[in-house]
Amino acid sequence: MIARARPLEGTIDPGVTFAAAFEGSPTPMVLVDARRSDHPIVWANVAFLTLTGYDWDDVAGRNCRLLQGPMTDPETVARISAAIAAGACFEAELVNYRKDGSWFWNGLTLSPVRDANGVVTHYYSAQADMTGKHKLEAAMTHANADLGRRVAEQTADLRAALEQKTALLHEVDHRVKNNLQVISSLMLLKARRTPEGEARNALNGMADRIGALSTVHRMLYSAGDVTRFDFREFADDFVGDLVAGIDGERMAVNASIDSMAVSAAMAAPLALMLHELATNAVRHAFPGDRPGRVSIKARRCDGALRMVVEDDGIGLSAGPPNPSGFGRSLVEMVVRQLRGTLTWSETAPGTRVEISVPLDAVSLSDGPADPADKAS
Amino acid sequence: MGEPKPHPLRVLVVEDEALIALELECLLDDLGYVIVGIAGSSQEAIALGRETHPDVALVDIHLVDGPTGVAVAEALSADPRTTVVFMTANAKRIPEDFAGAVGVIAKPYSERVVAGALRYVAACRAGHVGSLDGLDGFCLAARHAERMHH
Repeated sequence: MIARARPLEGTIDPGVTFAAAFEGSPTPMVLVDARRSDHPIVWANVAFLTLTGYDWDDVAGRNCRLLQGPMTDPETVARISAAIAAGACFEAELVNYRKDGSWFWNGLTLSPVRDANGVVTHYYSAQADMTGKHKLEAAMTHANADLGRRVAEQTADLRAALEQKTALLHEVDHRVKNNLQVISSLMLLKARRTPEGEARNALNGMADRIGALSTVHRMLYSAGDVTRFDFREFADDFVGDLVAGIDGERMAVNASIDSMAVSAAMAAPLALMLHELATNAVRHAFPGDRPGRVSIKARRCDGALRMVVEDDGIGLSAGPPNPSGFGRSLVEMVVRQLRGTLTWSETAPGTRVEISVPLDAVSLSDGPADPADKAS
Repeated sequence: MGEPKPHPLRVLVVEDEALIALELECLLDDLGYVIVGIAGSSQEAIALGRETHPDVALVDIHLVDGPTGVAVAEALSADPRTTVVFMTANAKRIPEDFAGAVGVIAKPYSERVVAGALRYVAACRAGHVGSLDGLDGFCLAARHAERMHH
């Protein structure tokens, strides 16, 4: 396994040249005699003496173990000894000590030097101060652990904040629902104790409106998405309430509402609007025993909610001017608030109300586009 | 609502909010039910339950003495004569087994949903199949909903 050394080019003395080259090398180097007992140091360059802080006289004839100390890993030392005994090459990093007692990480390579017969005569070793690298590694490990700890802390903080937020949301939701229930109960109680007539009707009407807002609130928070709710779900529930309160033989309510997401901000005004329009039609379009039908249509079209409420009742002008007054101005206010447009028309017989309300960004985001949108 | 009932259901109302309890009492009266009592705390509710053996108990979760409605439902439904229905704005507090209750009426409720839920309970108690059509505000306990499908 001995690689034949190439002869030097030219007429120079290899011994002198190599000695001069190694002597001047910035790499610390040392040579020990493998034939003498305890492998004494027979040569070391200036770089070695600089690294270890010893003078040549200090190390000459000594074994390299003089560099070892309390923090030197005995296992690494044992492996070095084994490699030398076997005449093998070896690489290791271990803690060594300078003359002044300070320590450094020594990255060393060992290789045997053989004579012409292949017998190991010397051992050659080159060193490098690896303290900087080890410090960097230790700093990195420390920094990583620190970073990991901080990430874990922040994650825990965020999780706690989220839990707190969820608990708070539930609490507020619970309180709002309970308060709406109390307000509604208060109205209904007062209505029950008010003699039949305008005042009682007004109280029942307010209880109905609170009921519509309550339904919106219930649906907003039950679906898991607190930012949007489905307008059709609300309309179905509302129409169910409306139909339950009328004479089904005489009046029919027909609702055709597309499923569409509506933002929380728009939910309450839209619910009030639908409530007023439908309730007005049912209450005032068919006085006496007049039979009829009410039709409610709503769809999403070009980023807007289009709603048409029609009845075949007595028409706006024929009815007494007062009763629908509040409901009608409520609708106008709400449509203005939503920046929509509103058209009332007499259809003889009956009334037709057409409303177009632009949907906001929250309503439109990720919502399933309706076929009309896709076609355009 | 107007159908004559030979033995109208006797209802216990467990609700700490006086206004809600009072209005509920009026509503139940209008619907033709008999109110056997109104309880605002868990002790009152359980005592009234033992005393009156109601057919139906409408139970809020939050009572005067805290979220004790669940324990009340457990105690009242232990009596086989009593059908318990939760009535709460805090349905998330209801345990998975519904503490023996058959369902929950969400607050704020509409009078229609209360009427429908009680009609459903009355039908079930009479051995019929009740209808839940259009009763969005009334949810059945899982095991009860399952039984409906068999």
